[in-house]
Amino acid sequence: MEENKPEEQQPSNSAENQESATESDTTVESNTSEEDKTELTKAKFKLPKIKLSFSGIKNIYEGQYKKLLVFPIALLLIAIILIGLKVAATGDFINRDVSLKGGVTVTIPTTQQVDISQLKDTLSSIFLENDISTKSLSQFGTQVGVIVEADIGEERREEQIDTLIEETGNALNLELATKDYSIEIVGSSLGASFFREIITALLIAFVLMAIVVFLYFRTIIPSAAVVLAVFSDILVTLAVVNLLGLKISTAGIAAFLMLIGYSVDTNILLSTRVLKRKEGTEMERFYGAFKTGIMMSATTLIAVTVALTFTQSEVIKQIMTILLIGLIVDLINTWIQNVGILRLYLERKAKKAVQ
Amino acid sequence: MNYKVKKIFTNVRVIILLVFLVLAIVAINPRLGAEGIVIRNVMTNSSATEAGIQQPPPTVKPVNRERILAIDNRPINNVEDYYNYVNTFEPNKSIQIKTNKGLYRLTTREDVEIIELNETVKKTIHETITVNETINGTVVEVNKTISKTIEVPKTKKIIKGTEDIGMRVFDAPQTNIKKGLDLQGGTRVLLQPEEVLQPDDLQSLIDTMGERLNVYGLSDLVIRDASDLTGNQYILVEIAGANEEEIGNLLAKQGKFEAKIANETVFIGGKDIVFVCRSADCAGIDPNVGCYSSQGQEVCGFRFSISLSLEAAQKHADVTNKLDLVADGRYLSEPLELYLDDTKVDELNIGASLKGSATTDIVISGSGAGSTQQEAVLVSMNNMKRLQTVLITGSLPVKLKIVKIDAISPLLGEEFLRNAMFVGLLVLISVGIVLFIRYRKLQVAVPAFLISISEVILLLGVAALIGWNIDLAAVAGIIIAVGIGVDHQIVIADETLRGHQAIYDWKKRIKNAFFIIMASYFTVLVAVIPLIFAGAGLLKGFAIITILGASIGVFISRPVFARVIEILVRD
Repeated sequence: MEENKPEEQQPSNSAENQESATESDTTVESNTSEEDKTELTKAKFKLPKIKLSFSGIKNIYEGQYKKLLVFPIALLLIAIILIGLKVAATGDFINRDVSLKGGVTVTIPTTQQVDISQLKDTLSSIFLENDISTKSLSQFGTQVGVIVEADIGEERREEQIDTLIEETGNALNLELATKDYSIEIVGSSLGASFFREIITALLIAFVLMAIVVFLYFRTIIPSAAVVLAVFSDILVTLAVVNLLGLKISTAGIAAFLMLIGYSVDTNILLSTRVLKRKEGTEMERFYGAFKTGIMMSATTLIAVTVALTFTQSEVIKQIMTILLIGLIVDLINTWIQNVGILRLYLERKAKKAVQ
Repeated sequence: MNYKVKKIFTNVRVIILLVFLVLAIVAINPRLGAEGIVIRNVMTNSSATEAGIQQPPPTVKPVNRERILAIDNRPINNVEDYYNYVNTFEPNKSIQIKTNKGLYRLTTREDVEIIELNETVKKTIHETITVNETINGTVVEVNKTISKTIEVPKTKKIIKGTEDIGMRVFDAPQTNIKKGLDLQGGTRVLLQPEEVLQPDDLQSLIDTMGERLNVYGLSDLVIRDASDLTGNQYILVEIAGANEEEIGNLLAKQGKFEAKIANETVFIGGKDIVFVCRSADCAGIDPNVGCYSSQGQEVCGFRFSISLSLEAAQKHADVTNKLDLVADGRYLSEPLELYLDDTKVDELNIGASLKGSATTDIVISGSGAGSTQQEAVLVSMNNMKRLQTVLITGSLPVKLKIVKIDAISPLLGEEFLRNAMFVGLLVLISVGIVLFIRYRKLQVAVPAFLISISEVILLLGVAALIGWNIDLAAVAGIIIAVGIGVDHQIVIADETLRGHQAIYDWKKRIKNAFFIIMASYFTVLVAVIPLIFAGAGLLKGFAIITILGASIGVFISRPVFARVIEILVRD
């Protein structure tokens, strides 16, 4: 502990000095931050001993929060660029699956092990004009069925669907009767209108969420920080989902809605604890919120991971994948971005109070 | 410890939660040992209807439906037992079906095929016609029965086996929770009217569709209108159980049936038709046509008789009166043309004897084709059934377009349900373990775990009570609601158990926790509300369940958790 102390103050002081070199009240600022630090070291003794081994990280986290802010902002910018490139290349900001662009999904439960890429090649050679994709339906990592998707249009639809089912059956050596498979047919105009609708719902949800947050905190910067965190969560998750090449269904967009609900929770917790409570020091309140928030995210992440591993349903699998990515992104956006913004805000407020 | 337990169970909030839990369980009404199989649909004109077995109304709660317990004193425990036994039936045998509501006796029928022979026989038929007579100077319509002798081809009946007794069944449900289509299999069709309908027209459209499906022998279904944010209208039809793709065609058909002679409409489906024969003696494969090969395909003809209203019959008389006789006086110069949705489906020559007569009985015929004779018979019978259905129910006020069809295999649905339950349990257990690791206190982990389970039960109870279907999206909603619940419990635990809060009393701590909880609750609420209205309501289930779950948590179970923690941990 003793050895750590000077190291801890060294970088933080120089960082602050650089940034506020031109300002006249440098001394006031560094005084307050030193007070923070001493109180913190006191608090540190109360914490369990594992904390010590992370003290290097902790130093950076506490001292370099302004520099750390670069990280989430860069992530957001990269995400926006990636999404922009995607729009430029395909005219769409996500990969829509057949439920959002129209087409047919056939799900065939079978215990037979199927080579899905071979099935895809076989079907693609028959449906030259259509985009065919195949997925395996799995549980505990073993295949329990196959899913075939094809963007068959309205023209000669029934005929083409019959061919699709027949050819899939041939490829699998199965006689397919109607009770043996599930089929989902979406008209292309409906797919497009669904897509518009759910995106609208997502936007409305976002705006309403922002209104609730502003009404709750009634201060611009902290509220904006919460809204920004949720905004980055959605965009960064979207970019990651695109990079993974996931095709998004209606349920997938619903997952983004859930993400709004979940990611706003930890941010509200953080802002409430830090701004509305008076006990302890600022840093203690940050850590208190961190402990609770990490626990919230941990239980949710565990639940999501378990569901993702054991579910059989594509709907649930997609929802859980998006939530998993979103919650991890939210860790960065809450505990680096939002914490950084709040600390800057409190610093400025303290400065004004002194003036 | 005893003192604490007593304190918990005498607490008002805990008692409220327990009362709600009891109510929820009553609503779910679990019957783990439910015997027998449940009747889903009874086909019209089947031996089952004849025996007096009622078509179950769709509003009946799952566990209150009529259950078949035994057939011929053989216990029937599952759908497999049922089909295994029913398939052994011989024609014209009496069987006894015992249900939980009574005892039915029904006679099995022969499944017959009529084959035409190259001979004819003379047959005398009686026909009732309406004629205008002048009595005492006024024209009145008088029914007269006339007899005439016609030549018909000699036919032979071949018994193919036993006709299905006409019931569709499913394994007895063990609870009142209605499973959504993706968890039990079934067909969902989303239709869009081609023009915007007024509420009245929309209702009559939905009524006609319901009637059509009932005529078709399906009653376990949901038909409702749906809309989206941009004001598009949709009709959503969900048929549980079976995977019935052909239903889509029946629903989308406007069913505008017109019979024209020389381009003049004589009668239309629905109001002009007073009776459509659907029994074997006057509906089925046409003995005069039978099955034949044509262009490499097998074609089978069907026919059924209908009765027209008096006005329509009079119209027929007026129109045919103007026609001439052709073909050596055997037929009239213009045929009777039948149009379904503006497409000509059939053309019938009108016998010379019908000229000017106000005939009420007309035979409608048509055909179906397939690659084998068996298939052709099936297609032909399906076509007949569809035509009969639209003739009975009349046309829909507008044309409809099928925009989405989902047909979910019942096998897959069952698999999904088992899996969803398993995953739900695993999620709860793993979250319980994480909570225990974090707090190292059973006083926190156990109540949190129990309260999460009670939230799921309350949620299912409400769903059972309002008859809301639990589908995969709703399962996702339950997971979300429980997840949010756990998050809130962590907030409560951390707010109340933190080390250096000597300045605060418990009330203040709980108030602090609920400040955060309410903010989170409102944001979740506003986030999912738009989904209720978006996209034809297909994600409504998810939205409603999430809202219900979050509300139950915030107003019923979380206060209990706060109180229990206080009692257990304080001092």
